[in-house]
Amino acid sequence: VEEESGQELGLDRSTPKDFHFYHMDLHDSEDRLQLFPEENTRMRKEVVQAEMANESRGAGDGKAQRDLQEEVDELVHLYGLEDDHELRDEFVDENMPRTGVSEYPPYVMKRRDPAREQRDWRPSGETAEAEDLGFGGWGSAGQCQDLREAYTYTHGRASEEYECYVIPEEEDEEEAADVFCVTCKTPIRAFQKVFDEHKEHEVIPLNEALESAKDEIHKNMYKLEKQIIQMENFANHLEEVFITVEENFGKQEQNFESHTLAQKYEEKIQALGEKKKEKLEALYGQLVSCGENLDTCKELMETIEEMCHEEKVDFIKDAVAMADRLGKFLKAKTDVEISAQPEFEDQTLDFSDVEQLMGSINTIPAPSAPVINPQAPNSATGSSVRVCWSLYSDDTVESYQLSYRPVQDSSPGKDQAAPSPPIIKTKEIRSCEEAVLICWESGNLNPVDSYTVELTQAESPEASGVTESVVGIPTCESLVQLQPGRSYIICVRALNMGGPSVRSEPATVHTIGSYFRLNKDTCHPWLIISEDGLTVVRSERRIPARELSSSDTRFTRCVAVMGNLIPVRGHHYWEVEVDEHLDYTVGVAFEDVTKQEDLGANCLSWCMRHTFASSRHRYEFLHNRTTPDIRITVPPKKIGILLDYENSKLSFFNVDLSQHLYTFSCQLHEFVHPCFSLETPGCLKVHNGISMPKHVTFY
Amino acid sequence: YFWRRMALTQISSNKCFGGLQKVFEHDSVELNCKMKFAIYLPPKAETEKCPALYWLSGLTCTEQNFISKSGYHQAASEHGLAVVAPDTSPRGCNIKGEDESWDFGTGAGFYVDTTEDPWKTNYRMYSYVMEELPQLINASFLVDPQRMSICGHSMGDHGVLICALKNPGNYKSVSAFAPICSPVLCPWGKRVFSGYLGTDQSKWKAYDATRLLKSYPGSQLDILIDQGKDDQFLLDGQLLPDNFIAACTEKKILIVFRLQEGYEHSYYFIATFITDHIRHHAKYLNA
Repeated sequence: VEEESGQELGLDRSTPKDFHFYHMDLHDSEDRLQLFPEENTRMRKEVVQAEMANESRGAGDGKAQRDLQEEVDELVHLYGLEDDHELRDEFVDENMPRTGVSEYPPYVMKRRDPAREQRDWRPSGETAEAEDLGFGGWGSAGQCQDLREAYTYTHGRASEEYECYVIPEEEDEEEAADVFCVTCKTPIRAFQKVFDEHKEHEVIPLNEALESAKDEIHKNMYKLEKQIIQMENFANHLEEVFITVEENFGKQEQNFESHTLAQKYEEKIQALGEKKKEKLEALYGQLVSCGENLDTCKELMETIEEMCHEEKVDFIKDAVAMADRLGKFLKAKTDVEISAQPEFEDQTLDFSDVEQLMGSINTIPAPSAPVINPQAPNSATGSSVRVCWSLYSDDTVESYQLSYRPVQDSSPGKDQAAPSPPIIKTKEIRSCEEAVLICWESGNLNPVDSYTVELTQAESPEASGVTESVVGIPTCESLVQLQPGRSYIICVRALNMGGPSVRSEPATVHTIGSYFRLNKDTCHPWLIISEDGLTVVRSERRIPARELSSSDTRFTRCVAVMGNLIPVRGHHYWEVEVDEHLDYTVGVAFEDVTKQEDLGANCLSWCMRHTFASSRHRYEFLHNRTTPDIRITVPPKKIGILLDYENSKLSFFNVDLSQHLYTFSCQLHEFVHPCFSLETPGCLKVHNGISMPKHVTFY
Repeated sequence: YFWRRMALTQISSNKCFGGLQKVFEHDSVELNCKMKFAIYLPPKAETEKCPALYWLSGLTCTEQNFISKSGYHQAASEHGLAVVAPDTSPRGCNIKGEDESWDFGTGAGFYVDTTEDPWKTNYRMYSYVMEELPQLINASFLVDPQRMSICGHSMGDHGVLICALKNPGNYKSVSAFAPICSPVLCPWGKRVFSGYLGTDQSKWKAYDATRLLKSYPGSQLDILIDQGKDDQFLLDGQLLPDNFIAACTEKKILIVFRLQEGYEHSYYFIATFITDHIRHHAKYLNA
């Protein structure tokens, strides 16, 4: 650049009296370059060197400009400024998409008339683009454009057109000053030198003075240009920083979005927003002062330009003043340090409180204390003892801790003997495939603290092992859950302070089908129940029909008996052997069914009734006195009854022929028991412990 | 000659409860015309042989009524039964008088092999259902020829009962909805039989379920019968179940006959109890 300008200067100086400063038509108002804000003043490119320098710089910066241009384009797109509507002459930033941005006043310039021919430093292509883009609103894009326009020197014309201003010395030489007093820094007429105040002063020819003044100006202008460039770069940089601030904000926002709870997100975003605002404000402030600086630069340039119109003498006067001013201006430190960094701190959110909360949720209630079984006989050796305990099924247990300590050797001193073993009421055992209900007699006169039930699976050969025991039973009965299809041996022990009793006599339970016995307590007086509790007979002979007192437990009107079915929901199946000529009723009923009514006459019982009359078999399926109309051609000899609590069904089958007879849908909110009645003399035999035949499973 | 004519054309196929409800057409040898039938293949049919349940529809029906209205697919799918539903008579034979009334001719084959002109060339529904159709099904689909049961409605039931009784041991189980139990005694039967079989009533007995019972040698049958109590045809004396039941009782044929309160003769009645019937058949077919 220097060389060029030197060359130019040299060229120019070849015509010493020509000032080849200005290549533009200074009076053409069309060429006025726009400034910000609101002023339509222009900066004209005056100086040859400046121009040349600018041109070359323009070339050099062209690339930078182009990059900038691309960025600008991007931003235009980003801010949606392509829409013509936004590019109207009112540059208020109404529709900026980003919040917070609109707080900033429009830092704009008036849009240039695209019709104007202007040539920038940049290649002309970009000029056109720049004009078209004409950013209206806020946004670094607009800023940028404005800045660029601010210091754009226009090439209105081809260089040939530029006139060189020549100060016509000849005309005014007689009247005008022709020497320059260095001391006073003022032009004077030659003769003045001789006289008074200028006598001692140094005097140089006016031309010389002019030349040196010119030089000064050149230098300062050069400095100004440099400053302009610096400002320009700074503005570019600011613009970039703006963009980066926005980008980084966006990134942080996303960062929060993907990792956090909405609340924390909001908080952090807000804080981030504040930061962003701060940064942008600082940057904005800088931009403003940068602009002001540029303003001044331009003003200075303009003044200089004006100056060059003046007569020699005036010029020199002003030149001096200008030199001063320039000097001061250029001395003033321009702050080109970016005040706010575009980066945002990466932040993480504090989740320790949430973690704490989550941690506290995972607590499980501590389990209840297990109950240790009393020591079983033969479970200890000289150096070891076998300890068993049981657990409440509601608890979640991960592990057990067993601890022990030796106690006093001496026996407790209680002379209380261990109790006698209880006696299981084997006849009253009721079972099904999943459970057994055992009851027993205490076997002791004195009260007993508790009972223990011990179970052993009959199949397992090891005689010693008690598979399971239930301890702490307060009463003389227990419902124990079992596995289907097995055989168990059950014993009971009584416990008191003196220790446990020996085992009771064992009872065997098979978990195949359901076992029950007929309940003597419910039995109508005219019925006799067999020893094994499975056969009921109504004899020909009748007890005289005296008034039978009504009873809650015993059937008085209906000649019936109930069985004692284990109170467990699930499936129960049993069979009843009948005689073809017998009038009978079989089914189920609630425990509190009215004993004064016939079975099936109320809604507490469901049953199948067979009546044999006139050689015809009649079958009814009774509930609440109603029956569907069903005809069965082959009278069953053995009736299978399936009670299904889960599906609320009661089904009857002809066992021998695997024939399904009928199914009730019944709401079984309580437990029911099998019931049997004999309307004519005869007998019914109950068969138990049978697993469901295959044909039954279909129902 | 017979085997040549076994070609099937698929008319439709719809997926239903995991299986496929299909309709086919074929050239029938017995009936000398094109016949359609419907077949449901349960999901199990993809991998193994299924037992087959034959459904015989009543007067005026085609192969469509049962498959559209009865809602049997879910139970058939669950129990893995293939269900075959043929049409109720030959179609498009251009016999004079065949479309004059709804209970004679088209849609009223009555599952007999007619002996009278002009019907005897085409109207051979008994042989079609007993022989031709099962052979065709067994050859064309993955069904087990040893496990067949039969079920029907009204006129179809009449067909069911006579097929079962004339062929002891052929079917594992039988069920019926509102069967015509004794055609020789009811108005329908009298009209139809005289038209199809002539006036010699001795020929009629061969197609009367109640009469057939008398000479039934009795391999065990387990029959489930549902009858709507409000069925107009019952009240009109067209169905006559009592004699049949009495005869079965004598012969010790297993029947459970259920008179259903409030139900009449329509497919609504069938839809209500079809699941029970399918389960009844499944018990024997899947044993």
